[in-house]
Amino acid sequence: MAYVPLAVLVPMLGATFLAAARELLSRALADAVSLALGIATVTLCAIALAHSVDHTIVYWWGAWTPRPGGVALGIDFAFGPLDAGMAVFAASLTVIAGVFSWRFLAEVDALYHAILLVFLAAMVGFSLSGDLFNMFVFFELMSVSAYVLAGFKIDQRSPIEGSLNFAITNSAGAILALFGIGLVYSKTGALNLAQIGDQLGRHGVDAVVVAGFTLIVCGFLVKAAAIPFHFWLADAYAVAPTPVCILFAGAMSELGLLGVARVYWTAFAPVLDPHAEALRWTLIAIGLGTAFVGAAMSLAQHHLKRMLAFATIAYMGLFLVGIAMLSADGLAGTAIYVVGDGLVKAALFVCVGIVQHRRASLDEVDLHGRGRDLRLTAGVFVIGSLAIAGLPPFGPFLGKALVEDAAAHGHGLWWMPAVMMIASAVTAGALLRAGARVFFGWGSAGQPDESSDEAEGETEPETDKPHDHTPVLMWLPAVALLLAGLAWGVLPGLADAALRAADRYVQPNVYAAIVLHGAPPEPTTPVSLSASGASYLYGVGAVVGALMVAAAGVTRLRAVDATRPLFAWLRKLHSGHVGDYVAWLTAGVAVIGTAFAITLR
Amino acid sequence: MSRRARLALFLPAALVLAVGLLWSFADLPPFGHYSGIYGIVLGHVAVAQREATNVVSAVTFDYRGVDTLGEEFILFAAAVGSAILLRAQRGEDAAGAAAERSDRRADVVARPVRALGAALVAPTIVLGAYIIAHGQLTPGGGFQGGVILASAAVLVYASGQYLAVRVVRGVAPIEIADALGAAGFALIAVGGLVFGLAALHNFLGYGISGSLFSAGIIPLANVAVGVEVAGGVTLIVAEFLDQALMRRRSG
Repeated sequence: MAYVPLAVLVPMLGATFLAAARELLSRALADAVSLALGIATVTLCAIALAHSVDHTIVYWWGAWTPRPGGVALGIDFAFGPLDAGMAVFAASLTVIAGVFSWRFLAEVDALYHAILLVFLAAMVGFSLSGDLFNMFVFFELMSVSAYVLAGFKIDQRSPIEGSLNFAITNSAGAILALFGIGLVYSKTGALNLAQIGDQLGRHGVDAVVVAGFTLIVCGFLVKAAAIPFHFWLADAYAVAPTPVCILFAGAMSELGLLGVARVYWTAFAPVLDPHAEALRWTLIAIGLGTAFVGAAMSLAQHHLKRMLAFATIAYMGLFLVGIAMLSADGLAGTAIYVVGDGLVKAALFVCVGIVQHRRASLDEVDLHGRGRDLRLTAGVFVIGSLAIAGLPPFGPFLGKALVEDAAAHGHGLWWMPAVMMIASAVTAGALLRAGARVFFGWGSAGQPDESSDEAEGETEPETDKPHDHTPVLMWLPAVALLLAGLAWGVLPGLADAALRAADRYVQPNVYAAIVLHGAPPEPTTPVSLSASGASYLYGVGAVVGALMVAAAGVTRLRAVDATRPLFAWLRKLHSGHVGDYVAWLTAGVAVIGTAFAITLR
Repeated sequence: MSRRARLALFLPAALVLAVGLLWSFADLPPFGHYSGIYGIVLGHVAVAQREATNVVSAVTFDYRGVDTLGEEFILFAAAVGSAILLRAQRGEDAAGAAAERSDRRADVVARPVRALGAALVAPTIVLGAYIIAHGQLTPGGGFQGGVILASAAVLVYASGQYLAVRVVRGVAPIEIADALGAAGFALIAVGGLVFGLAALHNFLGYGISGSLFSAGIIPLANVAVGVEVAGGVTLIVAEFLDQALMRRRSG
């Protein structure tokens, strides 16, 4: 099982090599070395995924297997296909981001690659770890390297500000999580997730469980950009180099949700399971709130990367709804949704990067009609926007459909598909509106100050001046990512496999028996899952809705003008002031904690 | 938000949080009645299993070694990150700043401070090395000793010498030390994979507990972390000093 630790150690050692040898490495050599290391990591994670399909893999570092009675002295990596799959996905996006950087970032040396590899090691470690404190360590490692990547463009002022907001807000979230871990540890004397679950399951819910769960979940939700913890995300994504955005939007935020899911199902489900119904409603409220704030805010943006950042927030909300079902079918749908959406969103970020490379601008108003001759980019952008709205048979459609089915059929939330349809239609509509104006020159150009408070200041080009052609290494990733998003939706047997994996994920006692007592895995029963007929209607509905939203935006209907005060108010809340963000964060923890304290007893 | 609005949002929320935390503290085991089994088990088995008299180091470098590996890389990322974020920007006159600091710095510092700083450098290095080398025996180890070593570099600066960690834009030996230290611990983990049963598994003799060469890979890991921490902290301090000097010159 050497592939398990190597999946973390290879990128770590690679990072130290690149940092130590950076004087000797030319740009091309550094690119090649980090690409090779990235592919090696993808391969190791893929091996881990392949091995974990049939049974949960448990790897004890230092060979410290638990003592009889199930007391873990050491740290384990314990993972199934969902965890290992997330690691594969994160590693693959890192490789793509690296390739895209080749031509996109003019001035980087080996230190950039080194920090990218550290970030990769952290994501893989977080995906696989089976120990609460160890998850926190990799979470922190992920954060520190992400702060650096976000602030990479130091010659402009806004990256420093965006990175600082990111760092302060996320550090506050990490402190919350650490406090929660401390509470759980003083209650259980354990850091191993299975052992915590075992200990907590012996007693009922008490104040320590509520406070510990609140703090840990809120800590992870800061990274997952749930409201009201989401403010930092747009600031950070807007300023981070576009290749880094691919990683942030596709993998980092989603890992926050993976943290919530893993901690719930391994450590807290044994004690909180009787209260699942109450917990579901709180999570649904946060998820839908996040989805609609993200959707409305992406409609209010003119800065293309900020728009995609808010779209990311909107979809994070929908993923949270999927997890909130607290059931295997909801989780399976979410897992598919995360990857499908991540692939297509990455393609959209690459398109924005190409526009930026060619036109040295990111502002929808400024770019009006200037993308007419970027035909391939236009095609990928428009199809990608339709795909994340929920166009069958793309990957996001399949994931969204399965989440909707889980909500409507599994839990009687018949209205959920319609609500999710509206949220994704509005979000994708904003992207389509921008696409129509930039690539086709439709509608009036508008005034730069029209509704965009962030138009100036954050549109400084990352690539210094416009270029005359699009390098292969830019358009190829865009096309490949979009095709991968399509393939993800039609891959035969994917939904069945995801449901099988999720079935195992939601059984804490089976997990604990395997981790702590080396129990043989239970045989899995064959299951089958596919998108229901109704979900195709909702998918098409979302696409039509998105086109209508885009058309309304382009033609500037009077109805659109009427909504302006609402958007102005929303935008005012997103002030860019980090003190505001921390105040919101505190308020969010207080409200969520109060909700848990009232309902989980 | 205005300052008032921010406070109006923050203060009640903070109050609710504080009350919630106090409420949860009331449910914790009373002081002295901690029920966790981890410490009790380790207290009984660690010295026998690991021949390390400092059980804390047995936990941090062996039982929970991968946590420490991650933490070491957090510092590595922070050091590399400060080198990236504080790199000389176009238009910033790095060479000029270097010239300035070598000229003037020595005159600014009072002579008693310089004498004291210079006198303390060597004992500080010895102390740092001692703390690193005895990590498996007595409280201390790579992290603590590494910071002490880095403070020797700060003493050098305090006594009037500019920290010449790099010549204008080259790579400093200190940066290489930082990377090699980080690599060292990761390589020890790989060593466990090659010569032992799992990554980070001990693959050296345990020796006799209480002696300098005991506890298997723990002293080796301490040295690797010590080098990394000394390099990383020195690099961070030097980058910030660089930045401060450039600012003073330009402003």
